[in-house]
Amino acid sequence: MIEMSGEFIAFFVLAVCAIGGAVFMLNFTRVVHMVLSLAFTLLSIAGIYVLLNAEFLAVAQVLIYTGSVSILMLFGIMLTRHRDQEETVVRPWHGFFSFIGVGALFGILVHTIYNTPFEESTASVKEFTVSRLGEIVFKQYVIPFEALSILLLVALVGAVILARKESKT
Amino acid sequence: MNVWMLLGPVLLLGVVLGFVTYAILLERKVLGWMQGRHGPNRVGPWGIFQTVADVFKLLIKEDTIPAKADRTLFKMAPVIAFVPAFVVLAAIPFSEDLVFADIGVGVLYIISLSSITTIGILVGGWASNNKYALLGAMRSVAQMISYEIPLVMSVVGVVMAAGTLNLTGIVEAQQRMWFIIPQIIGFLVFFTASLAELNRTPFDLPEAESELVAGYHVEYSGFRFAFFMLAEYVYVFAMAALTTVLFLGGWNPVFGLEFIPPLIWFVLKFALIVFTIFWIRATLPRIRVDQLMQLGWKVLLPLALFNIFLSALLKEVLEGWY
Repeated sequence: MIEMSGEFIAFFVLAVCAIGGAVFMLNFTRVVHMVLSLAFTLLSIAGIYVLLNAEFLAVAQVLIYTGSVSILMLFGIMLTRHRDQEETVVRPWHGFFSFIGVGALFGILVHTIYNTPFEESTASVKEFTVSRLGEIVFKQYVIPFEALSILLLVALVGAVILARKESKT
Repeated sequence: MNVWMLLGPVLLLGVVLGFVTYAILLERKVLGWMQGRHGPNRVGPWGIFQTVADVFKLLIKEDTIPAKADRTLFKMAPVIAFVPAFVVLAAIPFSEDLVFADIGVGVLYIISLSSITTIGILVGGWASNNKYALLGAMRSVAQMISYEIPLVMSVVGVVMAAGTLNLTGIVEAQQRMWFIIPQIIGFLVFFTASLAELNRTPFDLPEAESELVAGYHVEYSGFRFAFFMLAEYVYVFAMAALTTVLFLGGWNPVFGLEFIPPLIWFVLKFALIVFTIFWIRATLPRIRVDQLMQLGWKVLLPLALFNIFLSALLKEVLEGWY
């Protein structure tokens, strides 16, 4: 039985917001509305991170996903053909097959979750602070971190080169 | 759950609204004096009811929505812009006891939530279905994104010196020396970038009346327009408070004058920052768009990176001093 604590109510509200945002995103026809509901979902997920005591992750989520990525998408849409609307195409049997696909995926997920033994005990989440996060990232996982930075740098340089080529032709 | 948890935010909202009312009056008065005028002096003695009258006018104005606008987004945009501005204030420690939410990652919390306002501005400009509004919104957002990077980078030096992201911890680390002295480069970068984030002169390009009619809020009138303006001034409050906390030692007293309460010290330093912002507005002309981007990417960002490098170096070499 789930006890009705403040945490549970908060989780429930945030989960409804996240799912609601996602459903709206699928149902809207204008692209700008879609991006906004996506941003709303991402913000609700940040709230769930706060509930899990992952403050840093939550703040990073808001800064990168809700803030930057959504704005980038909005920019892209507004500078291009922002009046586009999705046209509804009537396809027979589409709903039926999607339902079967989604139901199968749901069944597999639930089956896997219930049958996977979680043997290791949960660490105490209260003592995860930003300083410990920093120590782990920059001491234990410093080589993967550097590799990731190089990957991002390569992507950045690649983007610059692609943009330059386009302007020449 | 005690009474203060509910009453505190309401009181804070009252204080912020009072601040906004008198900050606008003070701004007009200071601008007036610096230009050899009197400033507003008709409504009430010394013009003290001028802003009240202005806001009242905005509230009773007809609420217009353009026929071709996206009505839902048009109505939502001022809300999206204002709510983060007020939520940000929760993390700011005004004195040792007066802090609403002592968040471990306070600095990042403030900077990340303030980026949501940008969405509100962009949506407002787009939903108006007006090319000047869209252009103004684009300019505003481009400016805010470009200057957010040096803003965050300049705070890194402070975080390194204090060894924490918590705002209360940062103030406590400044008991012997304010960070404005060892982090002077960081302070200059932070202050310039914060002026740009606040869309204040010399970076008020998003609202350049002579080029863009008015910017992203051309189509807005009445209380929706008032909400955009309110969000802007609440950010002035938040940014001045953040500068006080990060660089001017928060509520720490100067010269051992400890008989003055900490909250008064905070307010004094805060008022100094607010006055400086108005002073700069009266002094400097608006810069061009290309100059704006060059300043942000070619001057402020390298300076902020250099500051991080210097802070790390000094922290290692002058251990204990720094």
